[in-house]
Amino acid sequence: MGAGNLLEETGMRVTSRNAGVAVVVTAVLAGTVTAGIGTAAAAGTDEGRIKNVIYLVGDGMGRTHVTAASERYYGAAGQLNMEKLPAVGQVSTYAVEKKSGQPGAADFHPNYVTDSASSATAWSSGVKTYNAALGVDPTGEVVPTIMEMAKQAGYRTGNVSTAEITDATPAGQMSHALARGCQGPVYSAAACQDAALTGSALPTSDVRVTPIADQIARNGTADVILGGGLSRFDAEDEKALRDQGYTVIGSPASQTVATRSDLGSASGEKVFGLFNRGNLTVERSKQQNPSAPQAQEPSLPEMTSGAIDLLSDGGRRGKGFYLQVEGALIDKRSHANDAAQTLEETKAFDDAVAVAVDYAKRDGHTLVIVTADHECAGFNIIEKGSFTNAEAATPPGNVDSGNPANDSTPSRPGSSAKDPNRSAGIVNAPGSADPRNFGPATFRTPDDPTAVTDGTPEASLWLSYLSGNHTGADVPVFAFGPGSGELEGSLDNTDLFDIVSRDLRVQR
Amino acid sequence: MTLTRTHAALAALAVVAFVAALAVGRSAFQAEPTPDDAAAAARTSFPDLEAASAEPQLPGLTALQPRPGEVLQAPGRFDDRFVLSDLHFDGGTLSGAAQITSDVSDVLEFEALAGFYDEQGLLVGTGRFVHHLAEGHDHERADHVGDDGGHAGPPSEHEAFSIPVPAEAAGRAVSAAVGVPVLVNE
Repeated sequence: MGAGNLLEETGMRVTSRNAGVAVVVTAVLAGTVTAGIGTAAAAGTDEGRIKNVIYLVGDGMGRTHVTAASERYYGAAGQLNMEKLPAVGQVSTYAVEKKSGQPGAADFHPNYVTDSASSATAWSSGVKTYNAALGVDPTGEVVPTIMEMAKQAGYRTGNVSTAEITDATPAGQMSHALARGCQGPVYSAAACQDAALTGSALPTSDVRVTPIADQIARNGTADVILGGGLSRFDAEDEKALRDQGYTVIGSPASQTVATRSDLGSASGEKVFGLFNRGNLTVERSKQQNPSAPQAQEPSLPEMTSGAIDLLSDGGRRGKGFYLQVEGALIDKRSHANDAAQTLEETKAFDDAVAVAVDYAKRDGHTLVIVTADHECAGFNIIEKGSFTNAEAATPPGNVDSGNPANDSTPSRPGSSAKDPNRSAGIVNAPGSADPRNFGPATFRTPDDPTAVTDGTPEASLWLSYLSGNHTGADVPVFAFGPGSGELEGSLDNTDLFDIVSRDLRVQR
Repeated sequence: MTLTRTHAALAALAVVAFVAALAVGRSAFQAEPTPDDAAAAARTSFPDLEAASAEPQLPGLTALQPRPGEVLQAPGRFDDRFVLSDLHFDGGTLSGAAQITSDVSDVLEFEALAGFYDEQGLLVGTGRFVHHLAEGHDHERADHVGDDGGHAGPPSEHEAFSIPVPAEAAGRAVSAAVGVPVLVNE
């Protein structure tokens, strides 16, 4: 009801004097109603309003990595924490070639196997790009990231990784570089420039050829930064961080790493802490060497918990937070075909997922997304007692004696046999001494009798790798919290940008 | 109803409406961000950062004073990530190899910087070996000294290098030192 109608309802004539008052009241009423509509909508959906997003990336973690770790630690009927989340989908991860158009364009040239950089750019900036690119499109132009947009919109932001924080996955949210190798601490033309893409070398003042460590230390994109890579930072970077108000634990200037204890006592709105000069140490090594300096590094679950504590503390002043967490060593150990530590790192990542979900359950306004950038090394669970092609002298038989039902060539008369030069036994037991051995690794599970040990043929879980490189397989996505239903079904990694930016209301 | 009572009623209504609007919160109605807003979010300039003007150096290279025939390792940021071996200087070329021990994924960037010294141990020239692994490589050719290229099969952590004495130091270099100012794994 407008103010004019109100006046008439009360029997008053609308004169010029009270008409002016009516305009003011109308405006106020209109604002109230509008606010009421927004409020009604917010109130009606306040239960589902997303204030925080925690985005967890298992680098190199394919669906089989999840299954293998689940069976290893919880048995065939058990589940990892991420598998218990209500929303489940799969994500395509392909990249594109340099100068390619986006999917659907006439000049679209896909690359079926991505690297961590282009995949990070896909979910961070919503564009397909070439492998090695960070925060730039296939032509080398800068594209903003969700973390930058969230920061600009008033969210608090965090970036956690078990890799060097200048590495592709964390850097994809808080830097822009033609080449992921431009990490620092110093500029290198070979590492930073791409004249074939840009036509000529860019001036070194251009962000796209500025060492990633220099960018991270100065752009303020992430309020909380925890991980490895202290070697990439120097005294000038430390000064730049402190000048922006960061609490710096450890010291880039003196190359002193921070510790778990430092993280536990850290406070402030901005915290920068690096716990290793390179990548963080694998969990099993820390467990087996408790007195080593590396045992003072926090685990991924501990860093996740610390980051959430620091970011959520700002909730009183900020709008909420956006936190990215990466379990990077799944990929590193998969490249090495190291099944034992691939499993341990997947578990550590899953324990970090539990930390995030626990917070989300208490908070009620947090969307948790768990996914991967790509699969690494073609991890596989093979039949107990079998052997893989890598161990064989020839491929499996393919007999075609003119039977049209087979209809395939070449015809191979018989099944393959093990090649003793390629199969020296289970790789985490009798075959461990032979560096050429392609034998599987075997692991006991909770389904095995207590006496069964790793590395024996009696162990239930037989694992093998296809290669030492990435694959093009789709990766899983799991989600919990308001809006989690958007993560169900078949998605592309660029869809993850659309979903999160919409949920945080920072869409381009 | 008199004008005074009308004004009072309208004023009261306005106050009530204003208070109600405050009570439901300021953020109930927000404008959608524009494309210009998003583009402006990208951090692309750093006024306090001096742009690079040289290729990577090793500050300790000048201070070393190897004896004639000696080959030393110059300290660098990544010394805990590799092991040098087979270092040899024949008066014209420094050769050797680095085994990357910190990581098993592809070596994206590797640079070895060599210093060459005269009889008195003074630095008389430097040379550089550069390995850059470009994306889109065909997994067949090695790539060194700035050329695009690739590797065969799984990631390799072994980098052999060969660095000639620069022309300005020819005939004067009797010892050498080498270090690694750039190292990035995938």
